[in-house]
Amino acid sequence: MKRMLVLSALLGVMWCQNPSYEPDPGWRVPSEAAAKANPLAGKTALVGGGKKLFARNCVECHGEDGSGLEKKHSADLQLPAVQSQSDGALFWKITNGNPDRGMPSFSRLPELQRWQLVLYLRSLRTAPATLSESHDPPR
Amino acid sequence: MRLGYLTAWLIIAMLGWLPALAQEAPYFVTYDHHLEEPGNLEIATSSTMGVPRSNQRFYFAPYAEFEYGVMGRWTSELYLEGQSTSGDSAVFTGWRWENRFRPLAREHFINPVLYVEYEGINEASRIQKEVVGNAPEFGEPNSELSQTHAHELETKLILSSNVHDWNIAENFIVEKNLSQNEGFEFGYALGFSRPLATLASSTNCRFCRENFIAGLELYGGLGSTQGFGLHDTAHYAAPVIAWQISDNASLRFSPAIGLTHESNPALLRFGYSYEVRGFGGKLAKLFGGKP
Repeated sequence: MKRMLVLSALLGVMWCQNPSYEPDPGWRVPSEAAAKANPLAGKTALVGGGKKLFARNCVECHGEDGSGLEKKHSADLQLPAVQSQSDGALFWKITNGNPDRGMPSFSRLPELQRWQLVLYLRSLRTAPATLSESHDPPR
Repeated sequence: MRLGYLTAWLIIAMLGWLPALAQEAPYFVTYDHHLEEPGNLEIATSSTMGVPRSNQRFYFAPYAEFEYGVMGRWTSELYLEGQSTSGDSAVFTGWRWENRFRPLAREHFINPVLYVEYEGINEASRIQKEVVGNAPEFGEPNSELSQTHAHELETKLILSSNVHDWNIAENFIVEKNLSQNEGFEFGYALGFSRPLATLASSTNCRFCRENFIAGLELYGGLGSTQGFGLHDTAHYAAPVIAWQISDNASLRFSPAIGLTHESNPALLRFGYSYEVRGFGGKLAKLFGGKP
């Protein structure tokens, strides 16, 4: 019974995910941008803010858990193809978007908020559920 | 009294019900390079209130905006506008259809946007969505002004930069009235704005500083090909503030101060906008298409 439940949950997740996602080879990040370090790295108290920003700006296309939505052709942010990219590369992609492939630019968000998003994206490769505890950032 | 309760309830419901997106620019006149996300529809209602000089009348000019993200680099917008002058009448003053195109896909230090708008308005129009040419005359009654129709073509070169959380935008405007021989009219708009806080808190707070953007706009006319320059032109300096009240909704306010004798002494502008996300997909689904 337990196995059946796990199997159904897995099938459910797979149904919602975007297994057909393939990264756009033309969406290249300049090397100096990819080399940028996240100024908020290690500040776990700020992940909660990143999660809120993710919910506001990204969930509609990438899904609650970031696994992507097939109907939106959006990236599965949990995939190694995404997670293996540097913080700087993710920041550049959030900033510039890929408008001809449906990913809008989020340059209207303040720079630190975009870094907060990168911070949260890093948590997607582990267990997003553990991030329900939130802390207010220093202003 | 009952109407007052109903209005208050509606406002409270509107503020509380909607869960707080993305920061909208606080400007009323200046455009920056950020376009509507593809498939999203933003519905907005704004108004311009003109505080009169001694020989003029107070006017209230509301307008509705429907802004749709057609593609990643193309936003289209329809305006419907009206006007009411104290001691005179209320009239429908026309419609506008604007399109903004972003030629460059990536973010640059200066991001250009090309703007083309067609206006089917009459001379009673007072929304002052842009200020061009020479200062308008406000003396004639609405009944006469609304009979004079103007078909206008307006183009703008929008240049906008994000520098350390500041947005700096410059608009250069050229307008041609296709109905009358007025030459080409010129105008400008400049804007600076910044969010009050740059880090997001983890809580869904409504009054956090991160939900507010403040700035300043400067706009005015520069005459026309029949007389270029600052003579007989209106200019305004306008502090602006926007409050992101929910994920989808925002309020804006701007008290503009007239800088020349030909300007109104003050313009008060209010705006409320609500974003319907995934509107295009929902509409397509409704008609049996692929979302």
